Amino acid sequence: MVQSLHTNALDEAIALPTEFSSRIARNTQLIIQEETHITNVVDPWAGSYMMEKLTQDMADKAWGIIQEIEAMGGMTKAVESGWAKMQVETCAADKQARIDSGKDVIVGVNKYKLAKEDAIDILDIDNHAVRDSQIARLKQIRATRDSAAVNAALEALTKAAETGEGNLLDLTVKAMRLRATVGEVSDALEKIFGRFRANNQTISGVYGGVVEGQESWEKIKADVARFAEEEGRRPRIMIAKLGQDGHDRGAKVVATAYADLGFDIDMGPLFQTPEEAARQAIENDVHAVGVSSLAAGHKTLLPQLVKALKDQGGDDIIVFAGGVIPAQDYDYLYNAGAKAIFGPGTRIEDSAIKVIEEIRKARG
Amino acid sequence: MHPGEAAVLAHSLSAVDQALVDGVLAGQRRALAKAITLIESTRPDHQQRAQKVLNALLPHTGKAIRIGISGVPGAGKSTFIEALGVWLIEQGKKLAVLAVDPSSSVSGGSILGDKTRMELLSQREEAFIRPSPSSGSLGGVAEKSREAMLLCEASGYDVIIIETVGVGQSETTVAGMVDMFCLLQLPNAGDDLQAIKKGIVEIADMVVINKADIDRQATAVVRAQWHNALHMLRPASPNWAPPVIALSALHKEGIAEFWDQVEKYQSALQPTGEFAAKRQHQALSWMWQMIDSGLRQHFRLHPRVQENLPAFTRSVEQGHTTPAAAAYALLDYLKH
Repeated sequence: MVQSLHTNALDEAIALPTEFSSRIARNTQLIIQEETHITNVVDPWAGSYMMEKLTQDMADKAWGIIQEIEAMGGMTKAVESGWAKMQVETCAADKQARIDSGKDVIVGVNKYKLAKEDAIDILDIDNHAVRDSQIARLKQIRATRDSAAVNAALEALTKAAETGEGNLLDLTVKAMRLRATVGEVSDALEKIFGRFRANNQTISGVYGGVVEGQESWEKIKADVARFAEEEGRRPRIMIAKLGQDGHDRGAKVVATAYADLGFDIDMGPLFQTPEEAARQAIENDVHAVGVSSLAAGHKTLLPQLVKALKDQGGDDIIVFAGGVIPAQDYDYLYNAGAKAIFGPGTRIEDSAIKVIEEIRKARG
Repeated sequence: MHPGEAAVLAHSLSAVDQALVDGVLAGQRRALAKAITLIESTRPDHQQRAQKVLNALLPHTGKAIRIGISGVPGAGKSTFIEALGVWLIEQGKKLAVLAVDPSSSVSGGSILGDKTRMELLSQREEAFIRPSPSSGSLGGVAEKSREAMLLCEASGYDVIIIETVGVGQSETTVAGMVDMFCLLQLPNAGDDLQAIKKGIVEIADMVVINKADIDRQATAVVRAQWHNALHMLRPASPNWAPPVIALSALHKEGIAEFWDQVEKYQSALQPTGEFAAKRQHQALSWMWQMIDSGLRQHFRLHPRVQENLPAFTRSVEQGHTTPAAAAYALLDYLKH
């Protein structure tokens, strides 16, 4: 029984969707709803042995996981310990390895590919304009709201958090009706609760486990080992997440695959500023920083990182970028100092070869 | 040693290395980072340069307090070091954190996430945090921390913390290079202390029960258990009985008390000369360790040894030669 249906826009792996691509996505749903009559039957697959079996298998596996979580003390504990996130990352690394190695087929991505892809129109977001307009809005709100009332509401929230008396949700709604911002509300609560720090764990061996023994994989591994011998240490790469972009699954998958190849990887924390990332890169003396960008911030943040590295004396550290980066942005980023760009669909092996090549080039 | 020999070594520095030395002394982050990389390098020419750089910097080392912190994964080492670090910075100190990661597979590289776990500290100007990957280098990465520590001292850091995961040999190695070795524990009431490795208890200069806020009662029990365990041992120092303290790094409780113990330790050991003697002893045993591993390498690479080792190995395996006789015969090759 279908309870909900989600369709992604066709360009969602490249950029934020355009009106055109969103419309196709929405109309796909409408066609299913209006033209297939599927909504006229409660359960069109009922009675199919295959479907019943698959459903049962899935339910059994899900139940197994639920039991495992219960044994840990519930979902909150599972999230807190980092277990839940690690499951997602393990799964993603495994899938990525299967796609990269051709074990799983995605038509158009790793099979039946066009020799040359036509560019599609994508939504170009002017980060500076968005930022400026957001700041202007905030200013306007702060200037026109009743500050005394807002402060009183926030204090009430802090007090309730401290004493445990009162309904936090109710007080939050009240504060927000007075136009307190999300940041202010969470600050009010943070005073008492502190800030949640994700238990950041990393996995290893998952990606390598799938592709182990493949000729191309072993070749890169040997090259990484050769690099380590020439250089006196393994290639050391920092994977950075800059700005307000919390999507770190891709970064983690790349990190684990690179480590399996023999790279040493420094994982940057989420929400780093370019200056902080540059400092970490310099302190750990990495050969290269890879910026993982999934929220369209790269055009602003990558040039800032290159500048920060230079300012702090680390202009020998090369910068590359990966993630949801549309082809239209490549030239801009190369001009800003990026040595390599890995957009959607890049095989991790290919990116590793390119990174090593660029590091060697930079070191002369 | 011939007087002035160290000075001769310093004079033979290349321009690049001299710049590195000057940068480290001037407290430049980039220079310190580069110097640590040089020390960690497995390339023989890098190692030679590293020794020259170290020799030039040696007169400027020794002024920091060196603290080792160990504990099982999940004991809250990073949280504790961050809380302590931020507190120390507020007291006007500069600190360097060197993290040793002994856990990585043979072929694979390491994933180092220390800064994601010490986010606040890593943003402070007064802190320098350097996680080091493990590699199959001579002496292991923990040994390199000893030299990295000297670099940090020369660069003006007052407190050096060496963090290590409580597994394998790394704890003993780290304990052998710091002034004070602290063991971080969890308040797991009911866990028998027999579970704690005996060797570790003996090298601890202080035991810290972290996460005391979670279960005060359990903390009290564990603390008492530790007291008893330490009491039964003959203390390693005549001037210091390792204390057991409880704190909560997450809530920043007990940090000042921890530092109070560090200062007490210093003032208990310094007047008697024990503090300096410990460092001397560590330096000498480091020298001997380097000699041992150098000899071992020399032995293995000796052509006659390489030539005859397989035959002797077989002979010992089959019981035709005693292990001692084979060893004597093989060692004899070194004399010729």
